[in-house]
Amino acid sequence: MKRRNFIKGFCAASAVAVTMTPSVLLAKDAPKSANQLTLDMAIKAITGGKDVAQSDKVSLTVPEIAENGAVVPVKVHVESPMTDADHVKAIHVLASKNSNSRCADVMLTPLNAKGYFATRVKLGGTQDIVALVEMSDGTFLKASKPVKVTIGGCG
Amino acid sequence: MAEARKSMIKFKPKKFKVDDIIKIDFIVIHPMETGMKKDKKTGEMKPAHFIDSITFSLDGKPFTTMKVWETVSTNPYFSVNLKVPGKGKITVDYTDNMGEKNTKSKKLKPKG
Repeated sequence: MKRRNFIKGFCAASAVAVTMTPSVLLAKDAPKSANQLTLDMAIKAITGGKDVAQSDKVSLTVPEIAENGAVVPVKVHVESPMTDADHVKAIHVLASKNSNSRCADVMLTPLNAKGYFATRVKLGGTQDIVALVEMSDGTFLKASKPVKVTIGGCG
Repeated sequence: MAEARKSMIKFKPKKFKVDDIIKIDFIVIHPMETGMKKDKKTGEMKPAHFIDSITFSLDGKPFTTMKVWETVSTNPYFSVNLKVPGKGKITVDYTDNMGEKNTKSKKLKPKG
């Protein structure tokens, strides 16, 4: 091999290495966490194959642009009378592209008086946040909103 | 038994009456390691370490239970509502995936 070609090749290879950020490399090589779940798998695990309806009753409050993916505030409000017969049974917060989509499952009771839950989650990149709500009659409602992340919070 | 973690329970608003709906905020100082981060000193992967279940109870009766994964932020914050039935004691129990168990409680004192 000629010296000129060798140097050309070396430069190209190093350029590729630089453009691939460490986080991308890490994410590929790293042993993934024990609970690794995609969004579809997570929804299936929660609903058991039941239909999920998009609903206006569920309102999700997330920032449009999150500067830091490590701390993204999420608020879920569900319209419900919260009586013994008709209340919100569970609120599931999911993130569509995290390696483990499930963030938190909250089991509520009529004592809570409002279908409300707030927390802060980590997001690995720009993606949708999904709130999956189980009502006491066994139906599932859903709301989702995209969040733009400028700096990832995982890894 | 591991050392006790710093945690706090807050009622919002601070002053409330019986039958008011208040927010209960719970914050705990916890690293919430995902298991995907490298330790800069040793170059080894940090093991996953996160809170996985939380129970809010009123006078020993649980009213909200949560299952939590590592995708929740460092120093996690959780907020739920409660209709105040009268005087009582709010207790929050939490466990993490390494078997650490802790409890925090605060008295519920409605006025008027």
